[in-house]
Amino acid sequence: MKQLSLMIDLSRCIGCKTCIVACRNFHGLVDYEAALPNEIPFYLRVESKREGVYPEISVNSWVMPCQHCKNAPCIKACKADAITKDPDTGIVRINKEKCAGEKDCIEACPYSVIQFNKQENYAHKCDLCFDLIHAGGIPVCVETCMTDAISFGEKEVLRQRAQDEGKDILKKMSAQSILYVQNPTAS
Amino acid sequence: MKKNGWIPTVCYQCKAECAILVRLEDGCIKEIRGNPKARGKACVKGMAGISLEYDKDRLTRPLKRTGKRGEGKFEPISWDEALNIITDKLKSLKDRGEAHKLTANFFPHSITDPKWRFLDAYGGFINTALPHCDSGKIVACIKTMGGVPNHHIPPAWFTVPKDGIMIMSGRHAFGGLDDASAPGHILDAKARGAKLVVLDPIFTADAAKADWWIPIKPAGDTAFFLGMIQHIIANDLYNKKFIDKWVREGDFNKLKNYIEDKTPEAMSKICDVPAADIKKLATECAKAPSVGVDSFKGIMLGQALDFGHAWTIFLAVTGNIDNPGGQPLPDLTPMTPVEPVPVGPDLNELGWHRTGKDKESFSNYSFIMEPTWYQAQAIKNGDLKVLINSEANPALTEMGHKEWRDAVCMVDDNDEYKLELLVSYEIMLSETSKYADLVLPDKSYFERWELLYMPWWYNFGKGVLLRQPVVEAPGKCRHSNEIFIELGKRLVPEYFTFKDDVEYYDIQLAGLGLSVKKLQDMGGLWSPRTMGFRKYEKNGGFGTPSGKLHLYWEDLEGVNQAMPRPGLAPEYEVNIDKYPFILISYRTIFHAGAGQWTHNNPQLRDTVSGFFENPVLINKSAATKLNIKDGDNVTMSSRTGQIKCKAKLTERIRPDCVGLVHGFGSTVGRTATMGQGVSDNILIPDSGSTLDWQDVVGGESHVSTRVRIEK
Ligand code: SF4
Ligand code: SF4
Ligand code: SF4
Repeated sequence: MKQLSLMIDLSRCIGCKTCIVACRNFHGLVDYEAALPNEIPFYLRVESKREGVYPEISVNSWVMPCQHCKNAPCIKACKADAITKDPDTGIVRINKEKCAGEKDCIEACPYSVIQFNKQENYAHKCDLCFDLIHAGGIPVCVETCMTDAISFGEKEVLRQRAQDEGKDILKKMSAQSILYVQNPTAS
Repeated sequence: MKKNGWIPTVCYQCKAECAILVRLEDGCIKEIRGNPKARGKACVKGMAGISLEYDKDRLTRPLKRTGKRGEGKFEPISWDEALNIITDKLKSLKDRGEAHKLTANFFPHSITDPKWRFLDAYGGFINTALPHCDSGKIVACIKTMGGVPNHHIPPAWFTVPKDGIMIMSGRHAFGGLDDASAPGHILDAKARGAKLVVLDPIFTADAAKADWWIPIKPAGDTAFFLGMIQHIIANDLYNKKFIDKWVREGDFNKLKNYIEDKTPEAMSKICDVPAADIKKLATECAKAPSVGVDSFKGIMLGQALDFGHAWTIFLAVTGNIDNPGGQPLPDLTPMTPVEPVPVGPDLNELGWHRTGKDKESFSNYSFIMEPTWYQAQAIKNGDLKVLINSEANPALTEMGHKEWRDAVCMVDDNDEYKLELLVSYEIMLSETSKYADLVLPDKSYFERWELLYMPWWYNFGKGVLLRQPVVEAPGKCRHSNEIFIELGKRLVPEYFTFKDDVEYYDIQLAGLGLSVKKLQDMGGLWSPRTMGFRKYEKNGGFGTPSGKLHLYWEDLEGVNQAMPRPGLAPEYEVNIDKYPFILISYRTIFHAGAGQWTHNNPQLRDTVSGFFENPVLINKSAATKLNIKDGDNVTMSSRTGQIKCKAKLTERIRPDCVGLVHGFGSTVGRTATMGQGVSDNILIPDSGSTLDWQDVVGGESHVSTRVRIEK
């Protein structure tokens, strides 16, 4: 299996959203002069889980980019065949030229990560910084994360590293190609 | 030629001033990164700097007021006209012998910031755009440890050893204001086996990562630390060797006597933390290889002078000064003085800008700078005639902003404004600019030169950072420093014989064998890369008069502050029945406290990448008793103000507290006015008109205002 992945460490993510803005800047998602809050596209978002009752509480945060699904529902949903899973990297990409702007993929995506450009009528999303990584770079969110909570690499290698470092892999969250890990909870 | 590539400079979305790289494409800013040659990180505000740079709201030419102050009506004028108005006014003020009635309100980027040089040379006063609790803690550090204020220097988290303890006391390090690399360093230290303890009434992002969250009563930290000190001394857990060698003779005995009855049990009643927990942490701290305490900003303390005192005593009895993982002492970069060095006016001689019954007692304290809220009082007593504001927003984000607004609009018998001239440098229009006679278009931090060498922050310790223009400023923008230098040449030319800001910095850099050009070629950064530990050993002691640590402050015997007082601020006791909650005015990583610029930044207000509006945080159980549901509109009142806002129910706050993010409520700005943003300052009573105590305790009532919530 060839699958590039991100490993997101919930024990390090502090929900600061730095990666979101850095990603937007790199991918040119912001019209800096005209943008208004709550209308700017984004390729990843912060989610969190709050548990417990005061004062015994916990909050965990993580980021949710495209999960580069194994059997991606967006690919099946797209009638224009605009979405493919790259055989060398496992990256799921939307071909802007082919996209007919039907938004079927947006409906189909269980993770609600696909953005839509109304002006130019096309769907777009996280492509794991496809061009950047082919030139030897690492994805922008990985590079800029304020706490180094995200690692990049082949999924198998990342999984092995998580095991070696004694991190728990959060199986439910890691159902697709992105790995979510955390320090073992003391019990 | 349009520039391309990565250029090193320094962020100023907040006061941490992190070293960054800026990527240009055909002369346009495309990306920002932390500079890997410094600490390597930038935060979300730093990343969103591009939105600030290219915002439509950028001010591009000088404006002159046409309506009344507060109306915000302007006409464009030329720089010549603007500068002539200021020069004429400042000339006549000086001729009247009232130069000290000029105050400039700004954040000093260094102690030789050209704005400060102008003030000293001309004879005006400085109000820093810093809260008074900063001042209180700075004074505490000077009194106990001597030398340069060091509370701005958090422990260097990358030096914390395994089993070291990191305490955030009312401090939100994951919310910024230390270097952007600090959160990662704290997590790295944890991974090495250090322990993170967070004392905070709110369960912050720091608390979410902590080994131990202690939901302390706001401002209970003085009592908490005194309880720990008592326990450590009573059980012979203190660092004898360190105390024998480095504490002034007699001070430790005085402390022993004073602390005897400040038992964890007694202090528990004040701070509302179980005595067993105070003892547990005290014992752990006494045995740990290092303890670092960060208590800069974040949630404001009620009485910073007492807290700062307890804090420094705690560091002394545990021997955690200038050791790896403990409290670093600053190491000043030896800059060459620019002769002749002007000497500023003496506040003690000319009078503090203080009214009310504490006017006299205030001079007992060695506060070095006045808080912004003195401006209102100074205008009222005729001590402030010209106010120049930059990189601050006193009309909205400072305590007592209503008093400030009223004061700047006050007229005398001839219907002339008592404050004769109000000038505000702005990147974009702000609440404050609405009141200004002249609004001057400032350069952003991407467009100007600045030399930064204060080891105040976490940046890189001893060294120099260069902020350089990476893009051209739009329209007619000029940096406030350029203007102050020009005013200097006009009014006090003997102090301004250098050509411009760059030449000024060249002179300062000469002693290091550097120049602006050389520093630029080196990548904008110079540092010997050492922090140095236990520097006091080599320096022959501390910077105090005795060379030893002063735990006892004899100069404050008369005002009963020779030892830290554990009590909460008086405001806690006022009308408890009528106002059952304590308001905590807190910060997030998405917005800087002062200034309009982060609140008017679309990316920092965007729900996905920032923080849109500021509902009031209420503990679920407390809200249920009031029949308040999540999202309900509520009215929140204090004894001086009232606001309407949305309620956000949460488990993440003490049931006797409510939380409101600071800095919202602007009525100006395309983005800043969106959403339901409310200003905490409407609720917080002003010092001088309502409160008497806070300036003499070095406090701000950001965590001590009592409020009531109704549906
Ligand atoms: S997360 Fe959504 S967009 Fe990404 S591959 Fe899966 S279905 Fe497609
Ligand atoms: S930058 Fe890192 S810590 Fe911050 S939200 Fe993104 S993944 Fe989490
Ligand atoms: S912490 Fe402050 S100075 Fe550093 S990157 Fe963030 S906004 Fe800029």
